[in-house]
Amino acid sequence: MRSKSVFGFDLLLFISTIALVSIGIAFIFSSGVTSTGIIYSNEYIKQTVWAITGIGLLVLFVSVDYAFIRRLSLRIYLVLMALLVCTLFIGRVVNGSRSWLGIWEFGIQPSEFCKIAVILFLAHILDKKNAQIKDVRYFILYLGIVLLPMGLVLRQPDLGTASVFLPVALAMFFIAGSKTRHILFILGTGFLLVFLTMLPSYEVYLAKKSIPVLNLLTNTQLAAYLICGTAGVCLLALTGYFLTKKPCFYWIAYFSLILVFALCGSLVFRKVLKEYQIMRLIVFLDPNVDARGAGWNIIQSVTAVGSGGLWGKGFLKGTQSHYRYIPQQSTDFIFSIVSEEWGFVGVCMVFALFLVIIIRGILIIRSTKDRFAGIAATGIVMMIFFHFLVNVGMAISLMPVTGIPLFFLSYGGSSLWTVLIGVGLLMSFHLRRFKV
Amino acid sequence: MRADDTSLSKNRIYFFAACIVAFFAVYLIHLFNLQVVNEEFYQERATQVTQRSVPIYAQRGEIFDRNYDTPVVSNIDSFAVDIIPGEIPAGERESIFRRLAEYLGLPPSEINRKIPPSYSNLYQPIEIKSGISLETITYLAEHLEDFPGLTWHSKPIRNYVEKETLAHVLGYVGDITREELQVLYNQGYSYGSVLGKSGIEKQYDFLLRGKDGKEFRTVDVRGRKVGDALLEDEPPVLGSNIVLTIDRHIQRLCEKALGQRSGAVVVTKPATGEILALVSYPSFDPNLFYDTSSAEAFRHLSLNTQFPFLNRAIQSQYPPASTYKIIMTTAIIEEEVIPLNKTIVCPGHFNYGDRVFRCHKLSGHGPLALFSALAESCDVYYYTTGAEYLGVERIVDFSRRYGLGEPSGIDIPGESAGTLPSPSWVSKTYNSRWQGGDTVNMSIGQGYLGMTPIQMANVVSMVVNEGTVYKPHILKEVRDPVTGDIIEEIKPEVLSTSTIRPSTFRAVQKAMRQVITEGTARVVITTDATSVAGKTGTGEAGFDDRWHSWFAAYAPFENSKPEDQIVLVVLVEAANDWEWWGPKAANIILHGIFSRKTYEEVLGSLRTWYLRAESRGER
Repeated sequence: MRSKSVFGFDLLLFISTIALVSIGIAFIFSSGVTSTGIIYSNEYIKQTVWAITGIGLLVLFVSVDYAFIRRLSLRIYLVLMALLVCTLFIGRVVNGSRSWLGIWEFGIQPSEFCKIAVILFLAHILDKKNAQIKDVRYFILYLGIVLLPMGLVLRQPDLGTASVFLPVALAMFFIAGSKTRHILFILGTGFLLVFLTMLPSYEVYLAKKSIPVLNLLTNTQLAAYLICGTAGVCLLALTGYFLTKKPCFYWIAYFSLILVFALCGSLVFRKVLKEYQIMRLIVFLDPNVDARGAGWNIIQSVTAVGSGGLWGKGFLKGTQSHYRYIPQQSTDFIFSIVSEEWGFVGVCMVFALFLVIIIRGILIIRSTKDRFAGIAATGIVMMIFFHFLVNVGMAISLMPVTGIPLFFLSYGGSSLWTVLIGVGLLMSFHLRRFKV
Repeated sequence: MRADDTSLSKNRIYFFAACIVAFFAVYLIHLFNLQVVNEEFYQERATQVTQRSVPIYAQRGEIFDRNYDTPVVSNIDSFAVDIIPGEIPAGERESIFRRLAEYLGLPPSEINRKIPPSYSNLYQPIEIKSGISLETITYLAEHLEDFPGLTWHSKPIRNYVEKETLAHVLGYVGDITREELQVLYNQGYSYGSVLGKSGIEKQYDFLLRGKDGKEFRTVDVRGRKVGDALLEDEPPVLGSNIVLTIDRHIQRLCEKALGQRSGAVVVTKPATGEILALVSYPSFDPNLFYDTSSAEAFRHLSLNTQFPFLNRAIQSQYPPASTYKIIMTTAIIEEEVIPLNKTIVCPGHFNYGDRVFRCHKLSGHGPLALFSALAESCDVYYYTTGAEYLGVERIVDFSRRYGLGEPSGIDIPGESAGTLPSPSWVSKTYNSRWQGGDTVNMSIGQGYLGMTPIQMANVVSMVVNEGTVYKPHILKEVRDPVTGDIIEEIKPEVLSTSTIRPSTFRAVQKAMRQVITEGTARVVITTDATSVAGKTGTGEAGFDDRWHSWFAAYAPFENSKPEDQIVLVVLVEAANDWEWWGPKAANIILHGIFSRKTYEEVLGSLRTWYLRAESRGER
């Protein structure tokens, strides 16, 4: 899939991007038209403006040498962190999250741009010798770079956006050559954390019977005993490892530490998470638990997608969308409209365009001679892919509902600019791939 | 690991790419499954979600009496006013409701109660008042711009032409309640269904209601109509008309003859079981339930101490008193416990154990044989034969053969079975033993015994038919509402046949005739239009100066085809002033039926002492 480049310009990547953005504008238009043909939303005009300016940004990022941007990466990172902190205090609340920073009528979501900042800064930091990357102390330090913005975004609270940072970082660590066990430690802790957080709610909403063992999690005192016990095991194992250097002690400590973190985290999460956030995960397992409430989106969206069929109902002819059964049609659930109106054929087209962008990204990772560019490209590819995975998965009920936009298609200036900057960077890496 | 310390691992890049492609593949397979394999399922679900149906109410069938000339229950064109809350402009809610309330004659709070502010996003019409005339709707239609969100639909109301006449037989209808819907949901009822609540309206609701049609429309998420339906409308099926066995002229005659006295009258054709008249007083006007003050009217009626909703002809039981001697006479003749000409001396009282039972004639009847005993209604004769010759088992047995303690099977819901006591019943119900005195009391139809007027009519029918009783019924025919063709005709259905010898019944018939010609009823049954056979009854009700007044009879006694015969039962409750009105009302009714005269004409032609008092009383 080697692209014929005009002066090294990655045309295939660019065309796919333009195509997806255009499809996005078309369906944002569709989402703003009622079944009787009345256009009641001018979101598509705004999106067009965002797209044109965004393309301008893309071109800007292609033309500027990324080495220059790299030198600024720490400062960009710090500015974005400052903006995130500002957002927490003076941000605008939209849809229950204080995630907008506004000047007059204009508003941006710093958390979106923050993704790019984190990717650039992390890539800059990870551009080290392999030995250093593999050192666990450095690993923890790198992790801190990601956990800081993640925590700030969580405070807004915007669970969806926050959840993007970790997978992006892990992908970058992986490509940068971190030890697999370190990455698996984070992954394992993450999954166990979600699992343990959900278990008590599972008992209430789905199992509908009392599971006595779960008292260990819900009863704070019992949970404290459990954590102390596991932590004790961990300490003993570590001591044993440093004394004897036997690998078995290492692994005991490894797994018990995962358990300790997950247990502590789940206690905190259950305190911090709102009921509606838990319900989103519950209805992911069974939408009918709350069919008119939290499960509504999923049921309506799947109905819309499924009823699209092979060829779709035709542009502007979707019923579930135009009768407004699907909420947030232009943002979170834009994929439902595409699949309803264009059917499986249209879905394949969108998938193909995304796949082109992602595979072009991976080829850039592989071909670039610059380690920084490769790692940053990994972050950008992972960011695009993760958004795709979660958003599309949500529309077809393979993923829980989190307010993550579908890049390129969803309405929203910040996310569109973010991804166009990302693509611009990819193209810049491609253009300067032989430069070291 | 690669020797080059800073280059990226190619393997890891490939692994990364493979993971991504794998996820794409999984999603694509899932989407293929959703959109291509299960397309129909989801399309059906999408249609289901967007299609709403609005019922087109079926016209309820009309009800006719046996003359089938003019309906006794019809439908009047009427409208119901609906409001679509979502179409009311936010600020104007209060002022619109106020004007509308004023125009419809409703308190504004009533509209507010039916359409709370939380409904402001609802695009489904909500009914706020029914029974609205065409003029009102015309006015509203002309001023529609003043009432945004207002619509209406046709909702005919039931017109009970004869008002209080037949109210107990016909019953009434009302909107289905939540509880009723839970039970009846599977039978095709829905919210907004009109349901028969009592009487014929309830019993034959399945014939009368027809089948509601459906008008489909495509709606958006808030229930707003957004387009034409994808499904074809289902037209409603009209309810069938039904014809009753009731003759409204006889019904009227009976009601007027009973007058304003708590009680009941039953007229049946023993040859078929058809009911010609079924009267219960006091009555009520079913039309009241359609008024705006329907709840008020209902409460007022249900608090009335005379219980106007009670259908005394089938729901109240009374001690049969001397009419019970018809059954006793049958038992005595059938069981041959005493020769018919053997006399028993009545000294005016009967000693049983240490108790003394009095005859109604305190001076005593002297020596009497069976026929005279029935004619004079001598208690001592029946005390003696009952307690000493027949015994309680045989008395209970014969009562059972006459259908006591069992519902008559009439096709009106809520019938009482009456009470047929027996030694085992007493020990079960009162945990006490059957005393010899109980047998003595039962022999003259007192004590625990309880019968409904319709059961009494069945007793007389059995005598007339010499052992066969046809199930009493009100429904005669079911007719097509458009063509008037008979869809179904109700055939007589045998309720019970007795093994008692026909000769016994013939003897009982003669004895009952003697009651009229020589006995107690001689002075009041003065009609010359027919020959009557019957029995009076004066039931103890716990008062010293008032009694239940029974009269159970049939006519004509002589030279008549069975299908021309009628059975008449009159019961006047002890709650009224004592006039011995049972046989007197019967005289008027029988004269009216057989000389084909109205009540007023009977009063003019039948000159008797008590009728003058009656006509005076009316003025």
